[in-house]
Amino acid sequence: MEEINNVIELKNVVRDYGDFKLDHISFAVPEGSVCGFIGQNGAGKTTTINLILDIINRDEGEINLFGKPVDQNHAYVREDVGVVFDEMGFHEFMTAKDINIMMKNIYKNWDEKVFFEYLKKFSLPSKKKCGAFSRGMRMKLQIAAALSHKAKLLIMDEPTSGLDPIVRNEIIGIFRDFVVEEDHTILLSSHITGDLEKIADEVVFIDGGKIVLSGNKDEILEKHGILKCKKEEASKVSETLIVGVEEEAYSTSILVNDRHAAAKLYPDMVMEEAALEDIMIYYVNAEKG
Amino acid sequence: MKGLIFKDIMCLKKQFMVFCYVLIGTLAVSVMYVLSVRFGNLADINAEMFAENQMEPESIKNMSSFALIMFMLLPLSCVGDSLNAYEQDGKAGFSKLASTFPIPLQKRILSRFLSVFAILGIGIIFDTAIAALLSCLTDIMTFSEFMGVIVSAASLLAIYSSLSILYSNLLGYGKSTYVQLLSLFTIIVGYVLICFEKVKEVITNIGTTVVEDKDISIGTFWGFMDIIMHKAVILLALALAVMAVSYIITCIIAQRKRGVF
Repeated sequence: MEEINNVIELKNVVRDYGDFKLDHISFAVPEGSVCGFIGQNGAGKTTTINLILDIINRDEGEINLFGKPVDQNHAYVREDVGVVFDEMGFHEFMTAKDINIMMKNIYKNWDEKVFFEYLKKFSLPSKKKCGAFSRGMRMKLQIAAALSHKAKLLIMDEPTSGLDPIVRNEIIGIFRDFVVEEDHTILLSSHITGDLEKIADEVVFIDGGKIVLSGNKDEILEKHGILKCKKEEASKVSETLIVGVEEEAYSTSILVNDRHAAAKLYPDMVMEEAALEDIMIYYVNAEKG
Repeated sequence: MKGLIFKDIMCLKKQFMVFCYVLIGTLAVSVMYVLSVRFGNLADINAEMFAENQMEPESIKNMSSFALIMFMLLPLSCVGDSLNAYEQDGKAGFSKLASTFPIPLQKRILSRFLSVFAILGIGIIFDTAIAALLSCLTDIMTFSEFMGVIVSAASLLAIYSSLSILYSNLLGYGKSTYVQLLSLFTIIVGYVLICFEKVKEVITNIGTTVVEDKDISIGTFWGFMDIIMHKAVILLALALAVMAVSYIITCIIAQRKRGVF
């Protein structure tokens, strides 16, 4: 049996801010996969990513990156990690040329030629101050930088947020090209589930600082379904199947966690496929109560 | 780590034109001053004051030296403020990005201190060139005295910058005014503590006879000038000590405040 190497592993990780707590979260991202990390705003996605990148201290638990513990003694592991945040981070007065000078003296594997090729591919000017770039251009610049030091892992926090559909599609295409290599992995956080449905193999769903759901995206989508029935029929549905219920004007929609079983048990009710977005909404609303 | 130092130097881009004007201005004014002291109006005034016993030759030399020291400090002062680099980092959100680089926190902080050396080094190079030129044109100060002033000024600026880095990490982005005030306050308190007896002597003798006041305060002042010209090694050693202590404390603060941008 082929051994699965996990590029990212979190075990019982806790980070407590007082008013928000990342509560004993555990998940793993296998090598070669695209893992979509979904959750609503304030669910804990950014905190989790910050913990993985050792940007913030954790209170408890273990985090491993490429099999090495995440701490200041193993900062060298980040040579193989490309990072894209929703905010650019480069100084606005810097041009792409300045960024190249800086980055080639930071990353051992920085490839200047690759960086400028990406700039050309993304139609980014090398001598223009990046403060004058549009949001889409800033994101592409970050991606160009993340892809120019032979990174094996891309970690991205809301990279497509605020971008128009055309640019988002272009960026998703770039990510697809990146994972063609078997040892390339992506962890991509987003609340735009449509993007993740296009590219993700694995999905981790976080809500209120807790992992609600994790696993193979296709399996999750295959398992879940939305049962449509009349209001008076809703009570017939077994509690063990119900994830969440949404009351509409004349009907009830129920997210079930085993749609094949539910379809067999309730053949008179309409069973629809659930999208990731639907799954997210139902789980969140069920949590609220 | 080199990349972070280059980045800090790039942050001086905005000040570059100002630095050029200051440099040209300093060069022009200091050469004119030196020529005036030697051949011009200032030479006549000094000769007059000496002839009328208004000033000792030593005092005339010290006053001239003081004026030159002020000119020499300008290029260094222009580049010596590393606070600008920190504020620019905060404005850009660069600190979060820097946290993702394969550079441990301690090295990232070390790079900030090394940037201070690099940036001051630029000022020192230009000041040294001006000093070499002026020492050829005047005997008010020798080249080694000029270098003493440059090293002393760079040391004081290094102390100020180290304290700025420490307080910037403690207080966070957007508190540059408080950082500057705290850094200056710490330097003043440090000076008072080191020279406590001298300061006490000056203060307790304020209000006594005018001649005694002047002697003590001028004596203290020329004494200080003597230190910066001839005993720059003391200030350099102090600067290195302050940088080392600031570095250690900054690392501790930064470790505790990780994730706070």
